Amino acid sequence: MKTKTLLLTLGWALFASQAHADRLVIKGSDTLGAKLVPQLAEAFKAQHPGTTFDIAAEGSTTGIAAIIDGTAQIGMASRRAKPVEVGTASGKGINMKPTIVAYDGIAVIVNSANPIKGLTKKQVEQIFTGEVTDWSAVGGRPGKISVYTRNTSSGTYSDFKELAMKKRDYAPSAQKMAGNEQIASEVGRNPSGVGYVGLAYTKAGGIKVAAIDGAVPSVQSVHAKTYPYARPTFYYTNGEPAGAAKEFLDFTIGPAGQKIVGQVGFVPIK
Amino acid sequence: MIAGSRALNQPRREPQQRRENVFKKNCVHRADGGLIAGAAVARAQDSGALLELLVKKGLISDQEAEDVRSDLVKENAGTAAGKLKLSTPLTELEIYGDARVRYEIRTAKSGAPDTIDSPSDSTQRNRARYRLRLGLRGTLVDDWFFGLRLETSTNPRSANITFGDDSSVNGPFSKDSDRISVGQAYLGYIGLRDFTFTVGRMPNPFVTTTMTWDPDINPEGLAEQWKHTFNISSGSHSSASTGSYSKDGTSTVAASQTSEPSTMSIDVFANFAQFVYDDTNPENPVGPAPNGIPQKDAYLLGWQIGAKVNFTKTMYLQLAPTLYNYTGNGDSFNTHFSGDPAFKVTDPTTGVVTTVTPNQTGVNSLLVFDMPGEFGWTFHEIPMRVFSDFAVNFNGDDRAAAAGHPDKGDNRYAYQIGLGIGKVKVKHDWEASVAWQHVDQYAVDPNLVDSDIYDSRVNIEGVAVRLGYAVTDAITANLTYGYGWQIDNNLGTGGVGDAFSLNPLREYQIFQADLSVKF
Repeated sequence: MKTKTLLLTLGWALFASQAHADRLVIKGSDTLGAKLVPQLAEAFKAQHPGTTFDIAAEGSTTGIAAIIDGTAQIGMASRRAKPVEVGTASGKGINMKPTIVAYDGIAVIVNSANPIKGLTKKQVEQIFTGEVTDWSAVGGRPGKISVYTRNTSSGTYSDFKELAMKKRDYAPSAQKMAGNEQIASEVGRNPSGVGYVGLAYTKAGGIKVAAIDGAVPSVQSVHAKTYPYARPTFYYTNGEPAGAAKEFLDFTIGPAGQKIVGQVGFVPIK
Repeated sequence: MIAGSRALNQPRREPQQRRENVFKKNCVHRADGGLIAGAAVARAQDSGALLELLVKKGLISDQEAEDVRSDLVKENAGTAAGKLKLSTPLTELEIYGDARVRYEIRTAKSGAPDTIDSPSDSTQRNRARYRLRLGLRGTLVDDWFFGLRLETSTNPRSANITFGDDSSVNGPFSKDSDRISVGQAYLGYIGLRDFTFTVGRMPNPFVTTTMTWDPDINPEGLAEQWKHTFNISSGSHSSASTGSYSKDGTSTVAASQTSEPSTMSIDVFANFAQFVYDDTNPENPVGPAPNGIPQKDAYLLGWQIGAKVNFTKTMYLQLAPTLYNYTGNGDSFNTHFSGDPAFKVTDPTTGVVTTVTPNQTGVNSLLVFDMPGEFGWTFHEIPMRVFSDFAVNFNGDDRAAAAGHPDKGDNRYAYQIGLGIGKVKVKHDWEASVAWQHVDQYAVDPNLVDSDIYDSRVNIEGVAVRLGYAVTDAITANLTYGYGWQIDNNLGTGGVGDAFSLNPLREYQIFQADLSVKF
């Protein structure tokens, strides 16, 4: 009887530990974490009922930091890890491993009532650095430009600086928003607003996408890299992932996952 | 915890994948090495374009490119350069400096009209010294640049510190005189074609010689520079812009722009400056009662327009006529210059003897025209140059009269001529030069002349010889000898002496042996 009880206890403990191992902690990019990854997680859970997810979308910086700190198995990032982050990780014995999971195009959005249809790269740089503060300077109706950007922990914030602003600082008057949806919402409400969002967030109401040097962000232009603000998005792991993290990563870049990538509004990797 | 469990579960395919990555990384390295002979930082960052090309050509996938990029960043993060973080607006940064140890012997003899020291009284000063200068200079986005240099000593004409000169303060090896000062701190803009604007404490923007400016002086104020190169070849003319700012501060000596030996070019340049010579505190434009002499800042204004004609790649002629003027009066240099030696006065009623020291630093009545020039060529591949300088103080009469010598107004000229052979640039290079110099009492500003060869004095002439040899690319040895003597025996040798308070210096000799390291 005692032996049977012991075996049952050990079996339960083994089951419990197995169940615990299928809890995936994913942190990082709002671009990925607000829409795409939750939908991927739902689909994955349908195939792996034992898996639970803990997803926190607070910016790419937090995702990379979580891998360095060991507080997440997957770090979502819409930008590459910076050399200083890689250096910090190496110092802790962490091997920052990026895997491209989708492509994105950072769309410059304006209010749908704004007559502006397109901007040049130079004009985008001037607007977001504050060199130009009135719409009339870029062919619009006279009126002060309200610039909306992501906050500093965002990968999109860094990527846009690098892709569109020659790494210059944002205008001091720029208002920092927590996520893509907030930017889209503010620009949709403000006729003088301008901001940027990931491709998956361009369908929000009240906004429209401005062409950049004649190119609009689309699956084709992002794939062909003809859209100037195209970028890959990543899962970061500590070396090659294993266990549930590996399964989820493989699912993400597999056919089923990439179908969801396209449905959500991102550009699939294949 | 997560990291630990992952380490135990590394997939078996990783070694093979790693080998593939190493192969691809090596491919990138090899290709990259051919394209970019830069440091690890540059390699990691600039490989992006190469990786993009490989992806575009279909040779590697985006993910493979990402793996290589990630490996390069990891490698770079482990290097010294990878650990250095620089601000985004910085586009280029250079750390530079030099250190020098020197042993020098100076001797001087007294003479008329000195009434205090015995005639032909000799004095000698032997000292071991060192100098350290450490600088940062760089360029910023949008065509700005900056420079900062820390130097030993507070003396504007010398960064030397004498060993053991402060032992009386805190005992042997005291650090009292071993102080670091800001030698240069400036900001500039080169956004307008051919122009350079600089503000702050800066390298001297003028083409000069040691006859008028000590090379250690970093003037403070504003400078505006313009330089344009005109190319002339086989009857055709073209012009080219060349940035007049150079990071080593030698912007005003133009380099040859010729691309073919038969092509001639002319660098035309203009340098203007407004230096704050002496700040008055407080300002009083009307002047305090009862004299009502205004108190306002003193400025040294300079206008220089010159040209360097590059006949060939190695033969050139440069002339840089300049006019210097002083405005305002400041509160430290507004006493009329005398230059005469100290003398003793006995009060007839009390019998008290007082030593009177006439002014040696006043900048009154100085409107100086100066024209440094240099002709260079090569002889059997040895660089040769004849250099010269000529200066005249148009207000020499007034300066002499104010000094109490109205009959000495002709003492307004200064000139220098010399020959230089060789040039020290890299290991085993050598150079030698000899120069004759004559500086009248009222010719130039005694506060600016070189402090070594003639002890910061005017009314002195003589000869100086210098030999230099590069022991390595960074280490240079120099020997200098100078011999000078009083020109007008009825006048003092004006100026605040560097090593001697004796005035006049009837005869003066200097020997210096230097060992310098430049980095």
